[in-house]
Amino acid sequence: MGTEGGTIEETGRRDAPSVRLERKLVREAQQGSKPALAQLYTAHWPRAHRAAYLVVHDGAAAEDVAQDAFLAAVDALDRFDRRRPFAPWLHRIVVNRALDWARREALRRKVGEAEDQPDTAAAPAGLGGELMEALAQLPPEQRAVVVLRHLLEYTPGEIARMLELPRGTVNSRLRRALDRLRDLIEAEG
Amino acid sequence: MNEATLRNLLREAPVPGAEAAERRGGEVVMAAFAERAVGDRAQVHRPSLPRLALALAVATLFAALLLSPAGAAVRDWVDEVFTAGVRDAEPALTEIPSGGRLLVQSGAGPWVVQPDGSRRLLGRYDEATWSPRGLYVAATDGSTLSALEPDGDPRWSLSPGGELADPRWSASGFRIAYRAGSSLRVTGADGTGDGPIDREVAPIPPAWSARGLPLLAYVRAGGELRIAETEGGAIARAAAPALPGVSSLEWAPGDAALLEAGRSALRLREIGLDKLLARTRIGPPRELPLPRSATILDAAFSPDGRSVAALLLFGRGAPRSGVVLADPHGGPPRTLFATPGRLSELAWSPDGSRLLLAWPEADQWLFVPADGHGRVRAIGDIAAQFAPGRSTAAFPQLAGWCCRPSPLGAP
Repeated sequence: MGTEGGTIEETGRRDAPSVRLERKLVREAQQGSKPALAQLYTAHWPRAHRAAYLVVHDGAAAEDVAQDAFLAAVDALDRFDRRRPFAPWLHRIVVNRALDWARREALRRKVGEAEDQPDTAAAPAGLGGELMEALAQLPPEQRAVVVLRHLLEYTPGEIARMLELPRGTVNSRLRRALDRLRDLIEAEG
Repeated sequence: MNEATLRNLLREAPVPGAEAAERRGGEVVMAAFAERAVGDRAQVHRPSLPRLALALAVATLFAALLLSPAGAAVRDWVDEVFTAGVRDAEPALTEIPSGGRLLVQSGAGPWVVQPDGSRRLLGRYDEATWSPRGLYVAATDGSTLSALEPDGDPRWSLSPGGELADPRWSASGFRIAYRAGSSLRVTGADGTGDGPIDREVAPIPPAWSARGLPLLAYVRAGGELRIAETEGGAIARAAAPALPGVSSLEWAPGDAALLEAGRSALRLREIGLDKLLARTRIGPPRELPLPRSATILDAAFSPDGRSVAALLLFGRGAPRSGVVLADPHGGPPRTLFATPGRLSELAWSPDGSRLLLAWPEADQWLFVPADGHGRVRAIGDIAAQFAPGRSTAAFPQLAGWCCRPSPLGAP
């Protein structure tokens, strides 16, 4: 899927369109512009998909979660308030759906299709692989706050609003998650 | 590892199939967008066909609700239910409608819920299942299978190796089947005589004969549905291709048929049995009629075997859920319940008078009369009731509603 029209302006670490360009793209998409939607998709899919994967640790489920989130976004595009940034809205949907999936599957473990098996076994060697394995051992709620804080770079206050949690809960989950990750990685080492 | 390192690792960790997923996602999203755009432009004159079809499907579903024999009662249910859950839900589970005991799996472990709503956490186990009369619970915890008293006291444990999952207690009470890694094993209910049944099975819970015969249905890794006799070793008695994408198996009460449930179909196969089980036969598959375009989330035989309750999901952007009662003999399905939102699972009460529907988004359980008459009882704040002392918790899962009548002597 290529991008058409306009440019993606880099805004440092989030690789997202600038606020001004994003508003323009959303407005054009609301008016039916496919190139505008394509640009929004191209700009936001990789992070949304990665965030979903880091929470669910299952390739097929991550794809479903990210796809569902974008479909929800398309469905609600007309009602979207252009004054608000697009990414937090999308990420909120992604992470909450990923959490729902992870909670369900952690207990159910009976999805059925062989291809739905978690593919964490494919984690690479080295510190990245150790991190992925350690991350997979955290409860989904802790994975979600780690992803929101350290991949998507939201503040604890923003995370609290996205997950509808008290800020103190977000902070304590982050602290426990990082402590546990450190312990697990050190134990591996 | 500092925060910058963590951030870089999270950014750079490979995501399996990322490029293909992005391409597929792009195709789906752009197709949905194009459909929406066409619908918007055509709105002045006529709705687009997919929207019209969706509207008709929803209208049909609700018309079926309102016009069915259960219509009078169901009308009230439609009024009572909205996307955020049932209004005026009871704040706590103080009794189980229709009685019996529930086994509920939360993040902290399995809970036994008594008829008066009191509950007890059995310990940190991953999965649990009732024995046929509810005298014991079999539970797995990583690589250990344990039999527990309903108050959580362990009777025995065994660790055959591998990650254990899907424990299932036979209806006779004498055996427990479970998956260990990629294999399927059976142990005696006293923890002795543990041994393999098959070394390569699909990650689907096995299903014991409902009559208490030593017959176990399961799906092999290659997609073969198999019935094995478990006495005196594992003897394969019958095999047939499994429903593609099958996620659960269940014997009909009386063992006359086997139900295969997948996301897109419910299929029945008649089972022929003789006294010595030597001529066990799996009949040809027969699909149960269900509304098209529905995704099947859960399905279960009623205790009397006269219907199969199927929990269906319609639509993706603004999902709707419905419960239909399918006729095992192929008659038209009857809609029992429908609501905006996404229900997740169902369970029959032991006496077949109610269905328990789980609604995670609304944090509610709904107890729905199976005959379509009477009031839906909604219990709210479910997640918190199974996570005492925690400010937030995952919505728990139903692991069983005990107990249907079982063969004599079963524990």
